[in-house]
Amino acid sequence: MSYGEGNWPESLQLVIEEFSDVFDAMERYEMLYEFASECDPLSEDLWCEETRVHGCQSEAHIICSLNDDGTFKMIGSADAQIVQGLMAIAQKAVNGLPPSDVADFPVTFTRELGLMDSLSPNRANGFLNMFTRVRQDARKLAEA
Amino acid sequence: MALDLEAIRADFPILSRVLPSGKQLVYLDNAATTQKPRQVITAISDYYEQYNSNVHRAVHTLAGEATAAYENARITIADWFTVNPDHLFFTSGTTEAINLAAHAWGKANLHKDDVILLTEMEHHSDLVPWQMLAEERGVELRFVPLSDDNNSLDMEALESTIDEVQLVCCVHTSNVLGVRNPIERIIELAKTRGNGGKGAAVLLDCAQAVSHDRLGFDTMGADFVALSAHKMCGPTGIGALLVADERISEMTHFMGGGDMIRETWLERSVYQDAPHRFEAGTPKISAAIGWAAAIDWLGQFDMEEIKEHILGLARHTAAEIGKLPGIIVYGDHGDDLGSGAVSFLHDSIHAEDLAHFLDAGGFAVRTGHHCAQPLMRKLGVTATNRASFYLYNTREEADAFINHLQGVIERLA
Repeated sequence: MSYGEGNWPESLQLVIEEFSDVFDAMERYEMLYEFASECDPLSEDLWCEETRVHGCQSEAHIICSLNDDGTFKMIGSADAQIVQGLMAIAQKAVNGLPPSDVADFPVTFTRELGLMDSLSPNRANGFLNMFTRVRQDARKLAEA
Repeated sequence: MALDLEAIRADFPILSRVLPSGKQLVYLDNAATTQKPRQVITAISDYYEQYNSNVHRAVHTLAGEATAAYENARITIADWFTVNPDHLFFTSGTTEAINLAAHAWGKANLHKDDVILLTEMEHHSDLVPWQMLAEERGVELRFVPLSDDNNSLDMEALESTIDEVQLVCCVHTSNVLGVRNPIERIIELAKTRGNGGKGAAVLLDCAQAVSHDRLGFDTMGADFVALSAHKMCGPTGIGALLVADERISEMTHFMGGGDMIRETWLERSVYQDAPHRFEAGTPKISAAIGWAAAIDWLGQFDMEEIKEHILGLARHTAAEIGKLPGIIVYGDHGDDLGSGAVSFLHDSIHAEDLAHFLDAGGFAVRTGHHCAQPLMRKLGVTATNRASFYLYNTREEADAFINHLQGVIERLA
């Protein structure tokens, strides 16, 4: 299935609606900050060079795998809460989808969240790097 | 006479900017780069609008005007730092200036088992070029550690090794801690005891110092001083290496190309004298003109007064944020000789998270390792937040920053 504007997984659509009500930058960051607690975490004991996402100012680590039913699963953690909040939203976007769908999942959902406007280039690039990594891993899992 | 901050701020168009968040910009990232007054912006645009031309070796009017403006800029800048204009080599900034010293002097004068003494406070720009030289030439690097208070250099450790050192490289004012090092004492020790009593060369990284110090190269006693224009209201992309007279003859050319030769044949070249010998290629014409305009603009003020104002804001901010729950302030801001940089960290809010919440309030601060990772490791952190003040910042801005930081901490901690 292909996703795009107006056609997102329901869990992501709910987040988009939540963010669309917020215009204040402080509140937006606060929401992201709070989303961190919803992230399906990667224990810090498992952090290593292979799990590390490059391009983030903070430490960010993810592992992508398949659930028993063959759907995609990303877990991750970061030492900065806003980065971990972004991971949590990425999980809502792609976890539970077929890996082939994740491989082509458009990153444009961040625009609908209004996140790219409020994120610094460092953070935005870090997020893009993370999401690119998610898609690459999904492709490998789909082809395996 | 107190600085007329309203008049000063009126010269900086950017300071009235409202950010996409709807918040008024409060620029507190001056240790990274200062803003530019309209006089600098106008000088650069005048050059491009009226007399843009390559310098040297042409007889047309524009080339003459551009050459005169460029070489007059060198004189203005050299006068400010009290150095012979022929001993001021334009570079792209402090980093290139230190690389120039490493390549043009270091390679010709440092040999296997010679010792370069650095400090744990150095910016990467004053570490990596020497690491490269050490690797290539077998030169030994030694490091002056921080004192137990983590705010100053351990001068006893410096004294214990100075006799065996051929070159001392030291940051004048730390970009992280905001403290000024005892450079007079370091130079004295290097000159009297360094290199077995024959005297060691001294290079100072003055990137932070130029913001508020008149360095006085002619009386400092340093052999090399590296600095950048953009830390003193000038444009980015230009800086200089100031070189003592006796060191120039010890330097070999570094980069080859146009403008640095007197005559070239297919197989060989004869080189120009300093400074052009060390400035290959089309020079940074507009940037030099802009830098001179910055110096002309700064020249209307008493630099001691500017320094007092900047340090007063830093001291006030450090004292007040130090009272906030969870905030750790680095450096010694009671030091009358320091800088406007105040590094801090919250014990439970990540530096990058904090920076985003500060940005959302309109406050531009720097976050990260500040290109001083060894110092960060010494402090036991990977990053800090850093607010840094300049002459156009006001007490109201400092207080607004303190209040906003307090609000963020109350919201998140």
